[in-house]
Amino acid sequence: MSFTCESLIPFTPEIILVIAALSVMIIGLFMETSSKKLLGYFSVVALLSSAAIIIVKGVYEVELTGLLAGSLCIDPMSQFFKLTFLLVSLLVVIASIKEFEEHSNQDEYYTLVLLGTIGMMMVASAVDIVTMFIGFELASLSTYVLAGFNKNEPKNIEAAIKYFVIGAVSSTLLLFGLSYMYGLSGGLTNINDLANFFSMNTELLVSPMGIMALVMMTAGFGFKMALVPFHMWAPDVYQGSPSVISALLAAGSKKMAFVAAFRVLLVAIIAMKIEIGILFAILAVVTMTLGNVVAVGQKSIKRMLAYSSVAQAGYIAMVFVVVTPEALTGGILYVMSHAFMKAGAFITVGAVCYVLLKQNSKAQDVDHIDNFAGLGKRSPFLAFSILVFLFALAGIPPTAGFVSKFILFLAVLKAGYLYLVVIAILNSALSLYYYARVVKYMYVLPPASDEKMSVPTPYVIAIVLAMVGVLAIGIVPDPFVNWATSAAEVLFY
Amino acid sequence: MEIYLSLILFLPLIGAALTFFIKPREIARVVALVFSVIPLFITALLFTRFDSDLGFLQFQFEESITWISSLGINYSLGVDSVSMPLILLNAILCPLTIIYSWGEHKDANQYFALLMILQAGVFGVFMSLDFFLFYIFWELTLIPLYFLISIWGGPNKDYAAIKFFIYTHVASLVMLLGIFALYFSTNVNTFYIPDLLRAFAGVDDVMKAAIFLSIFFGFMVKMPTVPFHTWLPDAHVEAPTAGSVLLAGVLLKMGGYGLFRVLLPMIQDMGTYQGQIITIMAFFGLLSILYGTFAALAQTDLKKMVAYSSVSHMGFVMLGAAAFNVMSVSGAMFQQFSHGLITAVLFMSVGVIQHNVHTRIIAELGGVVKKMPKLTFIMMGGFMASLGLPAMCGFVAEFLVLTGTYLTMHLFAILAFLGIVATAGYHLWALQRAMFGSFNEKLGDIKDTVSYEWIPMGILVLLIIYFGVNPAPVLDIFEAASSVIPGVELI
Repeated sequence: MSFTCESLIPFTPEIILVIAALSVMIIGLFMETSSKKLLGYFSVVALLSSAAIIIVKGVYEVELTGLLAGSLCIDPMSQFFKLTFLLVSLLVVIASIKEFEEHSNQDEYYTLVLLGTIGMMMVASAVDIVTMFIGFELASLSTYVLAGFNKNEPKNIEAAIKYFVIGAVSSTLLLFGLSYMYGLSGGLTNINDLANFFSMNTELLVSPMGIMALVMMTAGFGFKMALVPFHMWAPDVYQGSPSVISALLAAGSKKMAFVAAFRVLLVAIIAMKIEIGILFAILAVVTMTLGNVVAVGQKSIKRMLAYSSVAQAGYIAMVFVVVTPEALTGGILYVMSHAFMKAGAFITVGAVCYVLLKQNSKAQDVDHIDNFAGLGKRSPFLAFSILVFLFALAGIPPTAGFVSKFILFLAVLKAGYLYLVVIAILNSALSLYYYARVVKYMYVLPPASDEKMSVPTPYVIAIVLAMVGVLAIGIVPDPFVNWATSAAEVLFY
Repeated sequence: MEIYLSLILFLPLIGAALTFFIKPREIARVVALVFSVIPLFITALLFTRFDSDLGFLQFQFEESITWISSLGINYSLGVDSVSMPLILLNAILCPLTIIYSWGEHKDANQYFALLMILQAGVFGVFMSLDFFLFYIFWELTLIPLYFLISIWGGPNKDYAAIKFFIYTHVASLVMLLGIFALYFSTNVNTFYIPDLLRAFAGVDDVMKAAIFLSIFFGFMVKMPTVPFHTWLPDAHVEAPTAGSVLLAGVLLKMGGYGLFRVLLPMIQDMGTYQGQIITIMAFFGLLSILYGTFAALAQTDLKKMVAYSSVSHMGFVMLGAAAFNVMSVSGAMFQQFSHGLITAVLFMSVGVIQHNVHTRIIAELGGVVKKMPKLTFIMMGGFMASLGLPAMCGFVAEFLVLTGTYLTMHLFAILAFLGIVATAGYHLWALQRAMFGSFNEKLGDIKDTVSYEWIPMGILVLLIIYFGVNPAPVLDIFEAASSVIPGVELI
């Protein structure tokens, strides 16, 4: 298959981002720090136009396979996740305009965010394990740097090093697993070919080598998805990184692992036609329970959000147990809802930290829960936003969290896994406790200081957008559900 | 399509949003009052146009919009003879509560906004014909009350608020499991409640019992039924008066409403476990009556006593439903309506005492009548109604429940009657110690109730007497409802 310019047309959104990333990098070299803010606006425009193209091209009925030598495809699933990644990056970039206003290396920051987004979008489209891995690495390498972007802060450095070392190890594990798949199949890299091959040669997957491959892949994806026991990096990294980057990691790069796992692991599980559900059931139950139990005792809001993110990954991991189109619909919808809720929560917490640091530049541990006392009096807007995002995470109607939990749990129950639903529901009741505690601090306790907090406009825009997303999925779920349904059908038909 | 119900439902929400952003309390409270009085007028209009001959599950003023098509979820609203009077109750209580709270100073705009969200949530529960929608409103009521308790509450508010929130949320989740199970085992691919109930007969017996019990648990905690009542006294003691009034007045009724709307139509089709299920219901009803009564007798705090009296009165609702004949079931429904009015007076008068005397401990009061004659007069009305004095609506309801229960379950009715005796006891005893006798000089100079407090209480007492003398406007509707519940004995 020859390479022509026409074959690139379906990837206009990605190409826009590539051009934008490179221009930001080059133009940034010649700009003063004070005017580099413009690059942020430029990135916003690039992300918006990229998202607009995806929406205009339609997201329900698109189906293009065999693009670029069969390594990429465009289907409802890829479009769903691409849009999620783009919107998360958009929120992050908008919020960053203020956060990194005075940073001399802003240009690199925006370049890295854009490159990371391209990596995630590649993963969403990849149907070839090598392409997928490259996309993975592109996104990971960008986010390693971003996690340590405030290089004068020891906590940032610690987070970045931890994230890098563990990320590198997990990439190796993943690559190791993928290489065994390659070897077993006699040199296939296309996921669909692999699926066809293994469904005809099921015995290969249960051979020692096949099991090794599955275990390694599960561990590799497990690290990225932060499933227990591969989650240890997540709280440290989410707590230590700048809040907007935590938003990108929890809402973007973690979701990338989910789409990859849906495409590879889920297809492998479907192809195997044997019962390994119990392994994932244990993984899911342990993940959600540990995440929620540990979150209860956290004093740092970002760390609490990190553990809650671990717990939420546990809910989504139930999809690997149930493996039905309905459950995958729920899982996919949950991914998008969680992206909005978590990005919104981290950005809002980031805004609080930003304002607190502005008021007192020597403040330590600004995300400590004590600093949120009386936030309802000091900044009604921020307090109300945190309230919405936390209630959404807890699954209280009428938010995205409720609708996606409802659909996911419904599907799991329909498949007959009563015990999983009961455990998940108990967990979600437990989670309410620590979310409500933050709400109590914000609205009930007397303010830590009487100083009012004024929120910079970029933060307000990002927070409002995230809130619109959370409430839109909660109040008008029909289009999102239909879209998630057609995305899920990609893997089953 | 008519949009009356949506108007009733959304006007309080719009009012809440407006109130929330209006800082000066003088304007905020007027906006709140206006937006809760308009739904009252619309409800009154609907009440006059309501066809009371149409019974249970024959919905009027229906609205339906597709919501999540793939799961069969619709935005469907409608009222029938079970829900219409309860909507009226909610529409009456909310404006009166807002008038009663006229003097609220602390963040008044937020206070009124939360009260109105609460009102909208309760309206939603009583109108929803779709389980998904029902559950959303069911949960929506938790949030405003959580804030009402945790911001405007008493000294131990943190504990009470979080206990209330988690306890009832867990119960709702158990109910949600039951709803899921109902959805799957009936296989009708809709969350429309009447369709699910019609398809319920085809489910196998063990599953039926499991579905029934898990939904029943959700309602039991809300009502609340002993032994799942422990959140209620804490919540009441700490909640501000308006919160308590709405909690006891309409929120508990949601549990009873669920019982009539969802569970009673199932009993006919229960199959093998029908007998056991009815006995369980009757047992819990009786337990609540007796335990609530005797716990109330032992209370030293006036508000806690009223809270336990709620537990015991809601026991009558459960017992009447379990006895499963027209007289007892319509009595139980009427008990919901009448208890809503009566308990509001009780909590409001206790609120006045708390506000003006700064204590609710019975032993620290005494002879309050000398300083607060107006309050004592109205409070007497509430207490007499609560202990079941004839010519007041509490008597009609409890008489019907006990007589109806006696026809099918002698023993339960006789035991419940013991509760009635003790009920009279604790009411009179509390009045005697707190309000009458010699004046406790330590209380100093206390003022009597002000007009914005006694006017709503007075209106409520008048309504109590009106429905006690002439219960027909509401009771006829309930009778029409209960006589067509499948399997109910027509006595």
